[in-house]
Amino acid sequence: MLEIKDVRAGFDGTEIIKGITLSVKKGEVHAIMGPNGSGKSTLAKILSGHPSYEVMSGEVTLDGQNLLEMEPEKRALKGVFMGFQYPVEIPGVNNAEFLRMAYNAKRIHEGQEELDPLDFDEILTEKMKVLGMEQKYKDRSLNEGFSGGEKKKNEILQMAILEPKLAVLDETDSGLDIDALRVVANGVNKLRNENNALILITHYQRLLEYIQPDFVHVLSQGKIIKSGEKGLALELEAQGYDWLTTTH
Amino acid sequence: MTTTAAESTDQAESALLDQHKQFLSETQPAADILALNESAIQRFEVLKFPYRKHEMYTFVNTKDITAAPYVFSYGASVAEDFIKKHVYPGCEKSVLVLVDGVYRENLSDISGTSVRLMPIVEALSQADIKSYLESTVANENDVFACINSAFLNHGLMIDVPEKTQSESPLQILHVSTGSPAGKVTTLPRVLVRLGVMAELKLIVKYAGVQGNYFVNSVLDVLVGEDAGVAFTQIQQDNGDAWHCSKNRIVLDRNSRFHASNASYGNKLTRHHYEVHLKETGAELWLNGVSVLTDEEQVHNFVRIHHAAPHCVSNQQFKNIVDDHSRSSIDGTVIVNEGAQLTVSDQLINNLMLSDNAHADNKPNLMIFADDVKCTHGATIGQINEDQLFYLKTRGLSTKIAKELLTKSFADSLIQTIAFPAVVEDLENTLLKKLES
Repeated sequence: MLEIKDVRAGFDGTEIIKGITLSVKKGEVHAIMGPNGSGKSTLAKILSGHPSYEVMSGEVTLDGQNLLEMEPEKRALKGVFMGFQYPVEIPGVNNAEFLRMAYNAKRIHEGQEELDPLDFDEILTEKMKVLGMEQKYKDRSLNEGFSGGEKKKNEILQMAILEPKLAVLDETDSGLDIDALRVVANGVNKLRNENNALILITHYQRLLEYIQPDFVHVLSQGKIIKSGEKGLALELEAQGYDWLTTTH
Repeated sequence: MTTTAAESTDQAESALLDQHKQFLSETQPAADILALNESAIQRFEVLKFPYRKHEMYTFVNTKDITAAPYVFSYGASVAEDFIKKHVYPGCEKSVLVLVDGVYRENLSDISGTSVRLMPIVEALSQADIKSYLESTVANENDVFACINSAFLNHGLMIDVPEKTQSESPLQILHVSTGSPAGKVTTLPRVLVRLGVMAELKLIVKYAGVQGNYFVNSVLDVLVGEDAGVAFTQIQQDNGDAWHCSKNRIVLDRNSRFHASNASYGNKLTRHHYEVHLKETGAELWLNGVSVLTDEEQVHNFVRIHHAAPHCVSNQQFKNIVDDHSRSSIDGTVIVNEGAQLTVSDQLINNLMLSDNAHADNKPNLMIFADDVKCTHGATIGQINEDQLFYLKTRGLSTKIAKELLTKSFADSLIQTIAFPAVVEDLENTLLKKLES
């Protein structure tokens, strides 16, 4: 589904990712772990098409199509979802109305008719129940005044509504208490199926107790220095990143 | 032959003085109103028309509105459909229509309210109204409001009896008929007085049939003890018009005035708010939103006087300027000696959508008391790139995402307006201006 080939990328002329190759097939969950500054978030940013980040060389394809040439909205319509580490607050934009706009943008792209607010509300109500989110979040402005946990839940709600092919969750677990983490992880698990794929970017092993990855990759100084199965995360937890960075 | 700016201002002033003589001889005002007209024109001679660097008009070029000749319009006929279009749902039985500043009973309906009407000319027989109006003329610093008083003849007084409340809001609809020929000036004047513990929901809307008019309006609101006003003013004049409105608010003990202004802009709009928090416990909220395109202009001039302790004033303005449009806010909060425990906040946010647009801000605090909490601030910015990116990652096109962000910037203030019909109308018309 997603093929990342020898990608070098950075910000403001500084190379942060120094040659990453990664293949993600449908049905798979990949966890990308690494210390601060290793390039985890940069990877998420280039997959979602952030305008400030620059890909210097290499290629990224989604189902054979060049992802890097697409505008962020086109990537979204093709089924890429980015769960932000720091979701932005947008005062004045009603959360439910925004979710309906995003949902309808996808429907129009797929040649379907737009849903009116009432029909959409049924879907939204159902998805919110699944995620254990209070209905009051419908009427509030997008992320405005939400706590950290509420913002992350709102990201997962958007993912549930948009049903992406590939979701990239950038440190969705950081800053969450254990209850919120459980809700977020349960939500993600309910959305997993054999047709979609997930990239979890995380600093901590804790999330992986709740969302079992198929593969774990360790990123350090812009490169994947070790890949393995989920047991690798436990080793990292026990021994710390130094164990890998000093031996490589 | 060429004339200098100073000479043309002099000519304009003497033309207005001549006009005033003619006005007095034609209308033959009764003694009370004559005294007011005369003291106002004397005040005008002191104030004079603004020159270029006048402190009150730093950001406003008044050349067009001060230029002679002055042709006053007093109410041509207006199609009923036009009126209907501008009366908000829910105000059908609580609407006062003034056409070119003249109250039109046949177009108005106040059967759904408990307010009482009276021409200002008659209200002058009441000593408190007379002395209030005399003092406003003596202390007037706004030359356009001064002209309004000098030619005051058709003003309307609205009395809201003590301890009364109305379910539906009262709408005052100011219609300017305009002129296909030269500029015509209209002088709407309304005075609202609320008795003790009265509550009023008031919507003031300015609309124009056709352009080429200068609406020069004054509204006085005297809010009695423990009374409250929820107020919204909508400036939706013809684009080819000029607009000056002065709102003077006087707040007694524990009274409240919660105001929202929405402006569509035109050749030149200038709102002047003069607010007196006269007695302890008074509270003012003042919000303003304007959405400007092409060469439209909206200027706000705000002076808030905290004269007593324990008063609160809170202002927030949001302006969106696109194309070659201009906005300005010149706002000063004056905390007088003795006005301890004042709480005052002022925030101005501007969103610039074009390199050629212009937004000026002059927030100002003058504090003469030592135990107060006051803040003020202003921001000028473009569309937030992080917000834009976020929306795009959810599949929204750049165009839709930008529209959503600009609309939401203004909508967050529009949604604070207490009248759903007005909110809906502004979302459907004012925010429509942001769609390309």
